[in-house]
Amino acid sequence: MKEIQRQSPVQFKADAQKIAMRDNWPVVLEYSNEGRGPFVVDLTHKAKWDLQDKNLATHKPLGLDIPTLPGACAFQKSVLINRLNRTQCAIWHLLADAPALPGEPGYTDVTESTVLLALFGPNALAIAEKLTALDLMDPQKQTPFLLQGPFSHLPCQVVTLERGHGFDGGLLLTCSRGYARSMVHAILDAGAEFGLRPAGEQRFSAWASGLSGKPGSAQAPSVMHLVTTRENL
Amino acid sequence: MALTISCPNCGKRNGYEFRYGGEDKGPRPAEEGLTPQSWCDYVHMNNCVAGIQKEWWCHKNGCGAWFTIFRNTLTNLEVEEPEAKL
Repeated sequence: MKEIQRQSPVQFKADAQKIAMRDNWPVVLEYSNEGRGPFVVDLTHKAKWDLQDKNLATHKPLGLDIPTLPGACAFQKSVLINRLNRTQCAIWHLLADAPALPGEPGYTDVTESTVLLALFGPNALAIAEKLTALDLMDPQKQTPFLLQGPFSHLPCQVVTLERGHGFDGGLLLTCSRGYARSMVHAILDAGAEFGLRPAGEQRFSAWASGLSGKPGSAQAPSVMHLVTTRENL
Repeated sequence: MALTISCPNCGKRNGYEFRYGGEDKGPRPAEEGLTPQSWCDYVHMNNCVAGIQKEWWCHKNGCGAWFTIFRNTLTNLEVEEPEAKL
């Protein structure tokens, strides 16, 4: 039996300098001439789990707490957990290899059905604002926080990981795998005026490792509109 | 100006992110004694209120939640829950 080959739907027009094979994914660690930022990084190979249960509070994936409010995120021990709604959360293994999917019911591995991109560096949020009406710089929310809505007209989960001076910062976005090419095309086109360039996984790891475990992220009071219709969900 | 809708998870968003789910007609009728006529009325007959009505929406481009809001069909604006006015 031949070994399986996994392939990201994202193909940047740039020279890959370092490539590593990881769980049958060819992962570009570094591109030539990455520049000084902003950067866009393909993280599709990162393990992404979906967890659904009518009582999420009883779950502790990998021993980590799930945020209680929809829109809140927790970035702990290299894992980002995003609360999507009353019954669902997303678990992204950003900085470490994922263990085997838990055997208990409710978990789904969505790694190969979704594309995950990181956009960070100088003016990264200005690039994003050209493509979405989502308020990625909402001053009432503490990073990291999740917004679900259209980005370049495609339904996405967008996590603002860092908000720096001006439009500096970084975000992660995920959408269905089939939209990857047009999504990357739109982002690179919007970022051309800011010098946006593709970068390898090493660049992302260096940036994100400084963000993991920042205090306060798990309890971000990120949703202002929990209105009285929750029982109707 | 497009309709804006308050999603219970995501807050106030552009109406184009949502799918309309029809008037809120209350609970599904009981199976016992249900006639084809009454079932057909429940499924197909609408009140078409000229004013404030309770209706279902789905945040299809966002969190995917189904929920109800009150909307004034004359102004096409979401309104606060109008229990006191009904």
